[in-house]
Amino acid sequence: MAKKLMKGSEAIGEAAIQAGCRLFFGYPITPQNEIPEYMSHRLPQVGGTFVQAESEVAASNMLYGAAGSGARVFTSSSSPGISLMMEAISYMAGAELPAVIVNIMRAGPGLGGILPSQGDYFQATKGGGHGDYRLLVLAPWSVQEAADLVQDAFDLADFYRNPVMVLGDGLIGQMMEPVEFRTERVPCKPLPPKPWASTGWRGDRAKAIINSLFLDPEVLEQHNRNLKAKYDAMVRDEVRFATYGTERPYDVLVVAYGTVARVVSTAVDNLREEGVRVGLLRPITLFPFPYEAVRAAARRAKAVLVIELSCGQMAEDVQLAVAGSRPVHFHGRQGGMLVSPEETAEKVKEILKQTGKEARRG
Amino acid sequence: MLASRVTIIVGHFGSGKTEIALNLAVDLAHRGARVALVDLDVVKPYFRSRSARAFMAELGVRVVAPQGENIHADLPIIVPEIRTLLRDGQARVLMDVGGDDTGARVVGSLADMMPLAETEHLLVLNFRRPFTDTVEAAVVMAREIEAAARLPLTGLVSNTHLMEETTPAIVLEGYRLAQGVGWALGVPVVAVAVDEGVHPQVQGQLDCPLVVLKRYLAPPFAAQPRLRRTGPLFVLN
Repeated sequence: MAKKLMKGSEAIGEAAIQAGCRLFFGYPITPQNEIPEYMSHRLPQVGGTFVQAESEVAASNMLYGAAGSGARVFTSSSSPGISLMMEAISYMAGAELPAVIVNIMRAGPGLGGILPSQGDYFQATKGGGHGDYRLLVLAPWSVQEAADLVQDAFDLADFYRNPVMVLGDGLIGQMMEPVEFRTERVPCKPLPPKPWASTGWRGDRAKAIINSLFLDPEVLEQHNRNLKAKYDAMVRDEVRFATYGTERPYDVLVVAYGTVARVVSTAVDNLREEGVRVGLLRPITLFPFPYEAVRAAARRAKAVLVIELSCGQMAEDVQLAVAGSRPVHFHGRQGGMLVSPEETAEKVKEILKQTGKEARRG
Repeated sequence: MLASRVTIIVGHFGSGKTEIALNLAVDLAHRGARVALVDLDVVKPYFRSRSARAFMAELGVRVVAPQGENIHADLPIIVPEIRTLLRDGQARVLMDVGGDDTGARVVGSLADMMPLAETEHLLVLNFRRPFTDTVEAAVVMAREIEAAARLPLTGLVSNTHLMEETTPAIVLEGYRLAQGVGWALGVPVVAVAVDEGVHPQVQGQLDCPLVVLKRYLAPPFAAQPRLRRTGPLFVLN
């Protein structure tokens, strides 16, 4: 397919279609309306079905129902809408159903605003809905990567029988970049058969009943342990991250994800030209978080700086990873304000000044 | 192009209307015109021409858009001042319209005020966009926009590109397809828009006026942005 110039939202929609998804249920909300718009246009062309539900609650429960049939299903929303979907997401995790959910984050809390944010990190990675469950969470930094990760998300969801979330800030949904879809894509995981799918019983197999209700506490405890084993497997096998500028020695390690990491990469280029030694580590999976990689990379630095479009959420995971071995600084913007490469550079220089003083005192 | 008092820029969602509008506004301002750039975009929530209001003000271009916190809203606010501008026979008006027929409907709502004899209605085409990648698809989209805008097109602007990955071949192929659309619609291709980076490579190869574009609405990580300040989406207003 020739390269196209696409908005992130359009690329996400096309990626779902390329991954074989033919069912979308959603409800519009800025800044991701172009995803349902794209799906509403494209799905009928490929024999799929687009449903605009009456609310996000309805859309997410349609997703739950359709996922039970074993079909590849997809919904998207933005922060407040994702909050409304949390019940169904917990049910899907409990019933072990694959589904792909895209959250194009906007500034909160509450209705907040429509500009980009990363304030839903906790919600995405630490639960959000009730009960002991985890979502696999993927965070793209470009339109191309958004397209690639959405396709991977469908494979991962099928492999683990678990909802997978693709988490992008508003910019990922709205910015335009050239995108290419590989025609002969190989799934990123082996795709198991779906004997659990509820597709109509004809007496030739055990009944496939989709449920997240387990009244017997011993059975429910065992169910929780089985789920935990699955999440442990994700932690073992699915960690993804990238680095930028860390092949050369660095004094400050910046940890950032999504488009913020992109801003930091520009800052790394500029700072390196000035002779400032700085590197970037960018988690691509937020759950599982690359604790080991952050720990190892931090050891080679004098200090760590976390930058987020939030008041500091991923920063807590970085602190866990670094475990006090290096000072962890934080810089965040909120409300839809963005971080610039210049602002990043300033913070890095401030930290270096501070670190120098501490070293002299020490 | 740009000979009329009112220039309306329409096109498919993401075809490059806003960048072209900003560039034309800068161009007109440099030529000494008293320009009002009207942001009529009720479709996309980010990267709108209102984001460049402060920058445009420095050049003497007045950006007409919602005021106060509403500048960031995703509400279909049509600023009433537009009608005054259309009535004022002296004002040079440049309208940046939202994408597709959905966006063009706003133009339709102003049909009773439109000074037809002094108006050029330009359609921007990028054949590297998903839903306008063939002549046929672009013709359908053009017809839908005309109907919604209640205004016939007077010219086409060929703007086929892939941002940083644009090659001269992409620009030339886009121009050829735009001519196909022009032939089908009976509307001339009045200009080819090319990024300043590609311009030297296509100069002299096209029998059509070129509009050399500078990119204003770059994301915050762009290495050499024209409009970067720390703030909401690249500009503080």
